[in-house]
Amino acid sequence: MTATMLAVYRHDTHKFNGRTHDNALEEFAGVEVNQQVPCGADGDAAALSRPLEQREPVVPTHRSPYRLSLLTGNPVHETGETAGLNVAAEVEDLITFSEADVAHEQWLQSDVAAMYNEAVAFPYTSLKYHTLLVAALLHHYRDGQGFGDLRLVVDEAETIVPHRTVYAGEQFSLRIATDDGRPSARFGSRLCRSWASTWNRLTDHPLRTDEKKWDMTLDANLRRIRAWSTALQYIEDFQGGCPDR
Amino acid sequence: MTVLQQVLWELEMDYIGHPYYVSGNAILNALVQNLDTDTARSLKASHGMFVPGQFGTFPENHSQSGSQPYLGAGLPAVETYDDLFLHREPDQGWLLDSRARDALNIHGLRVDGGHPTLAHQTIIGRPPEHQRQKLTTRWYIHAYLHADNPSTLPVSEESLGMVQFGAKRNYGYGEATLKATQTVDLDALDFTRLDEAETHLIRLVTPFVTSSGYPGANDVPVPWWWDESRDGLRFREEKIVDSGTVHRLETVDHGQVVEYAGDCPVETARNGLTRVGSHSRLGFGELRVIPLTESEAGS
Repeated sequence: MTATMLAVYRHDTHKFNGRTHDNALEEFAGVEVNQQVPCGADGDAAALSRPLEQREPVVPTHRSPYRLSLLTGNPVHETGETAGLNVAAEVEDLITFSEADVAHEQWLQSDVAAMYNEAVAFPYTSLKYHTLLVAALLHHYRDGQGFGDLRLVVDEAETIVPHRTVYAGEQFSLRIATDDGRPSARFGSRLCRSWASTWNRLTDHPLRTDEKKWDMTLDANLRRIRAWSTALQYIEDFQGGCPDR
Repeated sequence: MTVLQQVLWELEMDYIGHPYYVSGNAILNALVQNLDTDTARSLKASHGMFVPGQFGTFPENHSQSGSQPYLGAGLPAVETYDDLFLHREPDQGWLLDSRARDALNIHGLRVDGGHPTLAHQTIIGRPPEHQRQKLTTRWYIHAYLHADNPSTLPVSEESLGMVQFGAKRNYGYGEATLKATQTVDLDALDFTRLDEAETHLIRLVTPFVTSSGYPGANDVPVPWWWDESRDGLRFREEKIVDSGTVHRLETVDHGQVVEYAGDCPVETARNGLTRVGSHSRLGFGELRVIPLTESEAGS
């Protein structure tokens, strides 16, 4: 189990250095990387965030592995917040953790993984959240659950379930799970960019949308986004980048 | 004859106000000064949905097909029930996958005095060396009007021409100008897709008011024809401001989907357009009936 889950956190290492999958190295910093993820979890997670038949870049002026921020419109690696990062060292750390649970926690907290997109043609997507989605899907597929059994579940902040938590913030966490009594919404049976429709159907919202104008604004924008990795990254960026929080 | 008058305004300035939509109450308040008393009293307004003025392709269930430049910045002909919802759902399904659809569809945010402000245009492709390739997207507000007294419609283009929504209007915020308007005769609308399906869903396009602090308003139960109890629904508090007084509303939050337990989907769909529940005159309680094909119903 550990080896397979570790392979998930290493499966897109080539994206950190701008190599295509076909051109990817098999080893990085002494560990095996860029291996295929079993059970189709990688392809399924990709389908949650981008149209797979589309290869032309949607922003022709930005052909780069670096992510564009949906919040500011700018490339993330040029902003002040990432200025202090030792990117090479942090990437190496992310890839070389030898315990899968630790790797999951580090990816949840990683700023450097959030600097990259999951596909050059879709610069607003996030390598960080794509990888976390792959991990959560694979974990469930290996347990025998199908995509149609899965739900987006809202947890209290600081609740982190190894490999299944896909977002962890100061106000709440989000997890992929089967029903367990927490506020949640079904993914639905179709693999598609279903973020907005899933978020819309949550049985309870983690945001204080009754009275907080900034929470309402975040919620309003989350109802407009279809790509999963883009939306999860937007929540993270919004929580860090807007006043009143 | 029941007539809906669709209205599309173009935002000329940033907007400080309700981020989900411009409420029907705000729309009526903006229009009332341009209208005679009888028309103003008779008029009902939907909530105004934010739409990016972008290229798009008609959705599968629309009566028209193909791509169109500036699909978000115009009012295409309406022939069927589904056509009415082209611009009314926040994820704007008509946006092209070949463009950065999520970036084009979310509101750019600015801060004014600590408050979120929605930008009236979005610019993509800003690096200096690519100035000429930058793509500017304008924002539009889509709403529709109807009236107790049908002879008051259509409201003239002159009366709709220049409006302002939200806060800080003295500083020019929320200014919008009329881009397009057209009337739709509900009796001539094609509801075949609803008629042909055996099972249906209901999507709450705007919040449904169950309880209101407005003087004289009654509490309203969740409709029996929603196959969902209160426990299975998400609620959100809304407000109506009337002459400076804030009235709190308990609403079933919009965007949720319930199964339809009634047996007259076309009638329900028509009522959902002119809206149901308390404060329906002000945009609350707009519903969309969605027919399920056999394969969808089984999944």
